[in-house]
Amino acid sequence: MSSATVARTDFRSIRRSYAVVGVVVAFAALSALVFLGSGEVHPHPVRTTFGLSALVAWALPLFLAPLAYLAVAGDRTRGTITYHLGLPNTRAAYVRGKYVTRAGVAVATTALGVAVAFAVAFATYEHAPDPGRFLAFGVLSTAFALAMVGVFLAVSASVTSRSRAMVGVVGAYFLLSAFWVGPLPVLNLGTALDAVAALPGVGLSDSVRALISSLSPAGAYFNLLPELVWADAPGEYAALQQFAGRPDYLGYEPWFNGLVLVGWVVGAPLVGYLRFRAAELG
Amino acid sequence: MSAVEIEGLTKRYGDVTAVSELSLSVDRGEVFGFLGPNGAGKSTTINVLLGFLDPTAGEVSVLGTDVTNEPQSVKARVGLVPEAFEPVPNLTGREHVAAAVETKGADDDPDALLDRVGLDPDDARRPAEEYSTGMFQRMALAVALVGEPDLLVLDEPSAGLDPNGVQLVREIVRAEADRGAAVFFSSHILDEVERVSDRVGILQDGELTAVNSVENLRDDLGMGSVVSATVDDVPDLDPLRAVDGVTDVSADGSTVRVACAAPGAKMVALRRIDEHATVADLTVEESSLEDLFEAYTTDRPGGDDTATDADTDGRPAKGSGPEAATVGGERA
Repeated sequence: MSSATVARTDFRSIRRSYAVVGVVVAFAALSALVFLGSGEVHPHPVRTTFGLSALVAWALPLFLAPLAYLAVAGDRTRGTITYHLGLPNTRAAYVRGKYVTRAGVAVATTALGVAVAFAVAFATYEHAPDPGRFLAFGVLSTAFALAMVGVFLAVSASVTSRSRAMVGVVGAYFLLSAFWVGPLPVLNLGTALDAVAALPGVGLSDSVRALISSLSPAGAYFNLLPELVWADAPGEYAALQQFAGRPDYLGYEPWFNGLVLVGWVVGAPLVGYLRFRAAELG
Repeated sequence: MSAVEIEGLTKRYGDVTAVSELSLSVDRGEVFGFLGPNGAGKSTTINVLLGFLDPTAGEVSVLGTDVTNEPQSVKARVGLVPEAFEPVPNLTGREHVAAAVETKGADDDPDALLDRVGLDPDDARRPAEEYSTGMFQRMALAVALVGEPDLLVLDEPSAGLDPNGVQLVREIVRAEADRGAAVFFSSHILDEVERVSDRVGILQDGELTAVNSVENLRDDLGMGSVVSATVDDVPDLDPLRAVDGVTDVSADGSTVRVACAAPGAKMVALRRIDEHATVADLTVEESSLEDLFEAYTTDRPGGDDTATDADTDGRPAKGSGPEAATVGGERA
């Protein structure tokens, strides 16, 4: 009961903030732009979900981070936490309520973005979008967004100041998204693993590299898309066919990547709560 | 059963001891003023009372429940005005109160509570972050009153309030105490504490230096009252100094000041003055809580040589000060 009250109070608070509206609208607009700009190049909408997945993995967390990093740390800094916890709310109910609102915004943002992309594809593409593929894409993207929001909330619940929350959230984003499966040519996991493999006496097999690569939310997300969204896609696009015939490594198994993603979705906020449960507030 | 029972509370942050071996109790229906300089450990104590902090050592029981084991059942019966907190962004004052009503499962009418604390209905529907400090304090007090709590913990409830607001807080505190609630009251406005508290506790450097009613603290420190008499001709002061219960005599122009530790000394001293001079005007000032506070928290006279003045039971002798002040029969 108190968890619902915290969530309702928090939701009232954030829905009146222009930042939430801005995030939801901005991501929807970007999703629409991705599809509007690719319709003539790729007649099949499924090909454009390849580009949209990059937007989800690298831009969506940056949209959600400002809404999540102060979820708990902001209350601690402002002293507002004494209002919530001065009432008979348990710490678990408080963290749960905070997570529910931020997760709700993440779900709404992702779902609206994918829905807008579907609508644009339906209206402007030569071939109609496949509802099943878009649904799978939406579910996976939402799971990824929830995992990242969970991480951000965990950071927020673990620190005592706004600056630490900001540094922690940016660091988590950089490590888990940009670095792990990111577009940067040098600062990425592949380069780091190459460096480790180059050490005398250390060898990293491809299966181990695949396993390590799958362990972040972004890694699991990108490993699941080929199996659940792009498999047997029409149009024979090279970008989508590059995943066909991947070795039978654990790191590429859909069930394993699904487990990793669920682990982040459930585990991150849980770790945040456990850190907060033992925190001294005062 | 006491509303608050603290026994041997110690709270350390690393090498820093914020509260040391604190023991006190607050009864139901009692207003307890909790005083101390900044950094004395008042907020730490309050945060332990509410389960925000775990004690390093000692036991804290609120309304008969160990707060470290069952903070939820305690908080359901406690109303809190925290010190220096900011509202939930974008939430109106009324929504703050309504959420508290919902969380506590109470049947209070938020509008009635806001009316009781004097927050205008139009203001109650504005975002609380737009409030003045005084309006915000009124809202916080309304939140604290939700559910007719058995214990009110008020940390600087009058901060930023105008005199009418301070008066309102006093009236509400007394009304709640009359209802049977215990009120644990921390304030820097000592006059307010003096007017409303049944007893006060003075904390310094994490240690409780005194617990008693203001009257008894005056007696214990020998800081009863000062008789100031304006006379036509200042008499010899030595006979006044010889009066039992007079602790200090001085003259300034045509005014004679006689500090009396014992109430009966005032009339005797006044008669002595009247025997040798014509008294044109007279005032009697009781030492304020501010004077007592200073005496217990600084090295003013009466507070230095206490170790030698304390009797074998640890109770301070007249004129003794804070270091030995196990006053009023309570541990301090």
